[in-house]
Amino acid sequence: MIACNQCDSLLPKPILSEGQNALCGCCGAMLFSKKKDAINRTIAVAIAGLVLFFPATLLPIIGISAAGLYNDASLLDCITILINSKNYIIAFAVFMFTIAIPSVRLITALYISSCIKFNRVKPSLLVFFRSYHLLDTWTMVHVFFMGVIVSMYKLSSLADMTIDGGLLSLVLLLVCSTLVSVTMDEHRIWDELEKSLEQ
Amino acid sequence: MSNKALAAGLGNCPQCHKLNVMHAEKQACSRCLTVFSTRKPKSLEYTLAWTIAALVMFIPANLYPMMVFYTLGKPDASTILDGIAIFIQMGMLPVAIIIFIASFVVPLSKIMGLFTLMYNAKRKTKLTLKQQGKLYHVVEFLGPWSMLDVFVVTVMAAVVNLGFLTSVEVASGITYFTLMVVFTIFAAESFDPRLLWDNHQKHNHRITETNPKYNNKDELPHGK
Repeated sequence: MIACNQCDSLLPKPILSEGQNALCGCCGAMLFSKKKDAINRTIAVAIAGLVLFFPATLLPIIGISAAGLYNDASLLDCITILINSKNYIIAFAVFMFTIAIPSVRLITALYISSCIKFNRVKPSLLVFFRSYHLLDTWTMVHVFFMGVIVSMYKLSSLADMTIDGGLLSLVLLLVCSTLVSVTMDEHRIWDELEKSLEQ
Repeated sequence: MSNKALAAGLGNCPQCHKLNVMHAEKQACSRCLTVFSTRKPKSLEYTLAWTIAALVMFIPANLYPMMVFYTLGKPDASTILDGIAIFIQMGMLPVAIIIFIASFVVPLSKIMGLFTLMYNAKRKTKLTLKQQGKLYHVVEFLGPWSMLDVFVVTVMAAVVNLGFLTSVEVASGITYFTLMVVFTIFAAESFDPRLLWDNHQKHNHRITETNPKYNNKDELPHGK
């Protein structure tokens, strides 16, 4: 038996084959789904995402030039400028939502998946996977990317604008960060953790 | 009405979604060891508190400027609505609409939506359960998107930095705006959507209680 997390209906647990979803019959919320080749795919995507973090934060995203002057900024520059102008709360929020939380989330996904792949399940994994669920809401790379696009719109009328490598890495990082939640099979990981910890 | 886990003495773990047999009001999940209750304790009280906090923050977020634009040393402070007005004057209607929706309509409708949900969890309303569930999904989904304007201002302040010619500086309004967004996310997190269904069942249950004959009639064919 499982219970729907939205309306608390009790339902018999369906057995799914790979690629199927189970929906609640009462309210239509998604109960769980079984994903194809979840562990290997998650490891691959998480490694790619973690590597991309370095160019995405360090390389300049966009730059402008006007009257012979030129300036560009990376994600890290954004945060240091906020700290320099004493806006500590926003600096902290931007750092957490765009760098800290997404990277910790990817590290967690990688660590759990590789531990299951190589049969090294430890009780500490429970803490890791619980935190993974918490971090999901606070990942805002996609919103930051949209923010970059809107500011590009604003800047295009103001000065000559150049797009730098940081933007490309940011797009790829966004793809990886989203793909992790697509490939990660949470129900299967919980089941495997439970099985191996009982033994 | 379908049977509910609460009535069967079961509870769903909010973290790992394992169905637990509840021994106490509050207990640790047998799989992931999260301590949880069958319903989030004091869910409505917490949601109300965070929503009111967000509503209070909404006022300074709109009154104070989000950023100060320096052109040749001349400062020009603009609030959220000022910025949108400038875009309309410049003839960039699509951007104006995006920013108006993301930083004005979305936060306000999120706060309104949370109030509606809280009211629905307490009283009987005309909204159907499907609509209430959808409203909850929308409020939950919108959460991070209100941060859009904060990120725009951040990027602008970092990129537009050409010394005396033009530069952008972050102003105090954005701090309030960020706090408002964080508060609404907390409010949506502390709301327990199962209360909507509980409340609906409570109201429906009263109707069946006053007509006990219906229950007997339903059982008859099964008895035979």
